[in-house]
Formats: sequence, structure tokens, C-alpha cells
Amino acid sequence: MKALLYKEFRLVTHPTTVLFLLLSAMLLIPNYPLYVTFFYCTLGIFFACLGGRENGDVFYTVLQPIQKCDAVRARILFAVVFESAQLILAALFSLLRIRLLGAQNAAGMDANLALFGFSLLLLGVFNVTFFPLYYRNPAKVGKSFAVAAAILFLGILILESLCFILPIFKEKLDTPDPQFFPEKCFVLLFGAIFYVGLTFAADKIAERRFAQLDV
Amino acid sequence: MAVLEIENLCKRYENFALQNVTFRVAEGRIAGFIGRNGAGKTTVLKSLLHFVTPNSGSVRFFGQDFSAHEQAIKQKIGFVSGGVRFYPKKKLRVLADVTRRFYPNWDETAFKRYLQRFSLDPEKTPDMLSEGMKVKFSLALALSHHAELLILDEPTSGLDPVSRAELLDEFLKLQKEGVSILFSTHIILDLEKCADDIVYISNGRILAEAPMQSFLESYRAVSFDSAEKAEAYKDRLIGLSEDKRGCTALVRTAVAESLALPAAPADLEQIMVHLERQASI
Repeated sequence: MKALLYKEFRLVTHPTTVLFLLLSAMLLIPNYPLYVTFFYCTLGIFFACLGGRENGDVFYTVLQPIQKCDAVRARILFAVVFESAQLILAALFSLLRIRLLGAQNAAGMDANLALFGFSLLLLGVFNVTFFPLYYRNPAKVGKSFAVAAAILFLGILILESLCFILPIFKEKLDTPDPQFFPEKCFVLLFGAIFYVGLTFAADKIAERRFAQLDV
Repeated sequence: MAVLEIENLCKRYENFALQNVTFRVAEGRIAGFIGRNGAGKTTVLKSLLHFVTPNSGSVRFFGQDFSAHEQAIKQKIGFVSGGVRFYPKKKLRVLADVTRRFYPNWDETAFKRYLQRFSLDPEKTPDMLSEGMKVKFSLALALSHHAELLILDEPTSGLDPVSRAELLDEFLKLQKEGVSILFSTHIILDLEKCADDIVYISNGRILAEAPMQSFLESYRAVSFDSAEKAEAYKDRLIGLSEDKRGCTALVRTAVAESLALPAAPADLEQIMVHLERQASI
């Protein structure tokens, strides 16, 4: 697994994948649907997979002394590293935002713990949609990403709309920290559990599909 | 001892199927895997390492089942598919640096030696290499982890005659160093130059598996002035075909002797052409 991860970072990482991490700074935009920031992380993962396709990465990887399922696990671990890096950077920028602008956001969810909880949920949904589709046919990476991104944006739309519809969102979750701290901590925990569960499921389904794929 | 044993390998596609493919490669031998384009050579080779998932059958390397010992077996083999088809813009040095981490027994000294022997510049990218040099780089990667068996899919395809000859010379040198080789090709001259054994596939089925010499000796080429004369032996002739000077066909050596036919030794090309013609009747 160490060699596979090294391969992911040395050969697969696309410059835009790293560049998109810096877009965590979008948390500094005063009024903006902040969930969109995390879309760029998924776009970075897509570019890495697209670059992999153009460079014959799947064939190179299965040539090595590994099992096919390890190739899937390494790629998903690679995605988890980028998603985690984006979340950590975004958390740092949200702290900066609070200091400079305050947490409030007129265009959607405030920069608070609940935002990160729901973002983890969205990234989990992306993983469980994108990777099983991608590993059914890596040649059609664009189609897999289009479906996963559409579902991600639908999720963002629903979550942002809830801030204007549901009282619990409007009055408790869409507020600056540390107001309603226990509720937001619960959302963060809920998001983290779902992220881990959905990413684990993504790995298992993708591994099964890739095992049947003729390279 | 066999370094590779394949038994009843089957793979079904909509318009093509591998049917009970069975053959073996003995230790220290060079086996030529021949067949016309589309006969199933690449599908068989890819099935060996499960790049293509077979529907049934067993593959054993060095006496071990591939499914159960995939990682350990891959440490001992090298698969080369028509040169470097991955990361064409990365330097050879970088590709080697990534590849070596997969192999605990990677030999950096050997790798440098092969780079020198094949005149490869590690600062170049695969894009900058000719087809022959790409195959040589793949060989250098495979040999630097001391692969005991090389599986090569049409390694000489697309190479000029000089590069082909150089590559085949390398195969013979590697054989002397104890490496077993299975390589697919449809170029007869390659086989005549270096193959010890022949595995012949046609339309997804193995038609013959034999040492080169006994394979050649098992057939005779016969010619007739006219189709009428050939008619009398029609049932015994293989791949009968007409040309400007009459008819030519292949017969089993025993048949040629028993019928006292005016037969000449058949070369590999004649055998392949007539067998394919017979298969298409």
C-alpha cells in the first residue's frame, strides 16, 4: 500500500488537484454558498482520475505486484487525503473569516461546525457515487464525475434551501459558533460517521466492480 | 519443471471465445505464442495475470495457483505489452523510482546495468523513445526485479528489422542467464530465430503445442500440378489451395509417408497458412 500511495502522489497527482485545495480560501467570501468550496476538492479528484486515464495509469498499476482491489483502495485513500486536507484548510480559513468578517453568511449556511458536518456528508455522497461508477469503467471518467457532481450539487441545493425552510436550520444550525454548540457538534459527528461509512461502502463496491473489469 | 501451466482457460465475449486453452512453458525455454491477428493471443496473455477475468480455468506459475498467490507470483514475472504505454511524459528515472518501490528485491545496480546495456538515458521520457527502446525499457524494469519469467505481447510488432534482430538477440542472452520467456507474435522469422517451443492458437483454441523442431517435422508440404490430381487425396490434405502452378497443401508426415506423396519439409509459414486455411473451410 505504501508503494501504491507513493505512486498516487508522484505520478497521479494533477497540479490542479493541489491548486484546488487553495480554493478553501473561498470561505473568506463574505456572502457565498460555502458548500461550493468543497466541490473543488471533488474536481481535483476528477482531474487526477482523468490524468490517470490519459497516462495509462490503470494498466501500469495492475502490472505491479498488487491485487486489483489494492489499486482501488489506494485511489480512495488518496481522495480521502485530499478531502481531509481541504477540510483542514477550510477550517483554518473559516477561523480567519470569523476574525475578519464574522461567521454570518447571507447567501447560505454560516461558516460553523454544522457546515463542516454537512460538507463531510456531501463528500461521502460524492465518494459513494463517483468511485463505484468510475471503477465500472475508468475510460468513462467524465460521465462518472458528471453524475456524482450533479448529485453533489443537488445535495448542496437541498442543504442551502433547508436554511430558509426548516426552523431547526434557520434558528439553530445556521448561526455563528458557539451558539447551539451541542446541536452543531452532533451534526459534525453525524457527518463524520456518514463520511466514513459512505467512503467505506464506496471502496467495497468499487473493488468488486474493478475485480470484474477487463483492463 | 513448468514455470507456467494453463488449463482449460475459457473467456467468452459476444463474438469471440477462448475455448479450453491449455499449454505450459518449461523452465529456461523460449516459447513462441503464434496465431493470426485476432486469434486470441493477447486475451490469453492478459488472462494469465487476470487483466482480463477468465470465465473458468486455472493458471499456475512456478507450481502456484495465480489467484491465491497473485502478489508473490508477480514479483517473479515481468509482463511487457508492446513497450511503455504508461506515463509517456514522465522521465524514465521517475518511472523507475516509483516502480522499484513495489519490489523488495529490486536491484538498482542491475537496473543501471540494463540502462547501459540497452543505451537508455534515464532523463528521457517514453515519448522520446523509439518503439524498440520502449520495449527495452520495459525489459529493464522487469529484469531489475529479477523476473524469472518474461511474458511479452507482440514485443517485435512495429519494429524495424535491425531493432527486431537486436531484441531477439537479447532474448537469447536472457535465456542463457536463466530467464524463461513466453512471447506472442505473428512474425514467423522471430520464432525461427529464437523459439524453442511453439504454442499455436487459432480462433481461441490451441491447435498445437510442441517443441519447434518436432512441430515442423510433423507436417510436410505437398504440391500437385492440378486440382484433379489433388482430388484423390482431398480428405488427407490440410488447407488445400490453388495457385498459378497448381495446388499446394499440408499433410501430416505419417500420411505423406504412407501415401508416398512427393512431399517436402514444410516451414512455419506454410504450416500456419495452411492450418488457418483449413480452419476457415
